[in-house]
Amino acid sequence: MKKLTFIDIFIFILFLTISVLSFTLYTNVSGKPEVHITSGDKEWVYDLSVDTIASFEGPIGNTTIEISNNRVHIYSSDCKNQIGILSGWIDKPGEWLSCLPNNVFILIKGQQKIAQAEETDDISF
Amino acid sequence: MTSHSKVRIDLVALFAACALFLSTIEYMIPKPVPFMRLGLANIPLILALGIFSNREYFLLFLLKVLGQGLISGTIFSYIILFSLAGSLSSALLMLMIYRLFKDKVSRVGISLGGALGSTICQLLISRIILFKEATYVIAPLFLFSGLISSIILGLFANEFIHKSIWYARLKETTV
Repeated sequence: MKKLTFIDIFIFILFLTISVLSFTLYTNVSGKPEVHITSGDKEWVYDLSVDTIASFEGPIGNTTIEISNNRVHIYSSDCKNQIGILSGWIDKPGEWLSCLPNNVFILIKGQQKIAQAEETDDISF
Repeated sequence: MTSHSKVRIDLVALFAACALFLSTIEYMIPKPVPFMRLGLANIPLILALGIFSNREYFLLFLLKVLGQGLISGTIFSYIILFSLAGSLSSALLMLMIYRLFKDKVSRVGISLGGALGSTICQLLISRIILFKEATYVIAPLFLFSGLISSIILGLFANEFIHKSIWYARLKETTV
């Protein structure tokens, strides 16, 4: 078995550092959870505490999401491999789902702590 | 050192076939998230270092990307962009690391470097065309899975090179 060299260890540490640093980007997720859905250039925001079913059009068809009991999942999608549906339910800020073939991305974000009129989001949709 | 002006097409084909086979195996393994991969198809690329000339190596890389696209069915979709860019940056980085350090680096370092290059490159593309700002959420998962899988691949390659008589003979006929 070939011994690991100094350069192996160096590249490992570099890789590990970048990986750990990428985690620190998570720190600003807190507060009231919102579901952000991105499809193409458009973005929609839903309240995680309000049960909804919504459909989004992508390049190959529709992707439908369901929000229920403070959780969200992909209910159906017109894609071939159905990985998004298999991913199941998510409920915490920072968690995400996606349907790559249909270019739909679902992310739960914690709302910013800055006071915001809660109704605004609902009215705008 | 013999001249490598002529591409040893049979050898490249053998490695490419191996990559194609490993892509198939990889495709059969269920993954929780798309593009989270083990990178099994990179094993031939890791092993090819030290045996292939730059031209042969580049040809192998092209065949690997085409094979992967063919098997996953993404060859004519935008997803091939990720595969192409990721594989290109990883192939170039691995080649560079190998040429720079030769025996001072083992296949673990080469594999890690390749995975790092490929992951960062794919995250950048994702930032531009796919997930936009949301890319930061997927970054940790991809980086950590890349870190772990590339260490395993590197250890395997080290072991393979150490044990394989076929590989040793191949190396003798090359240098």
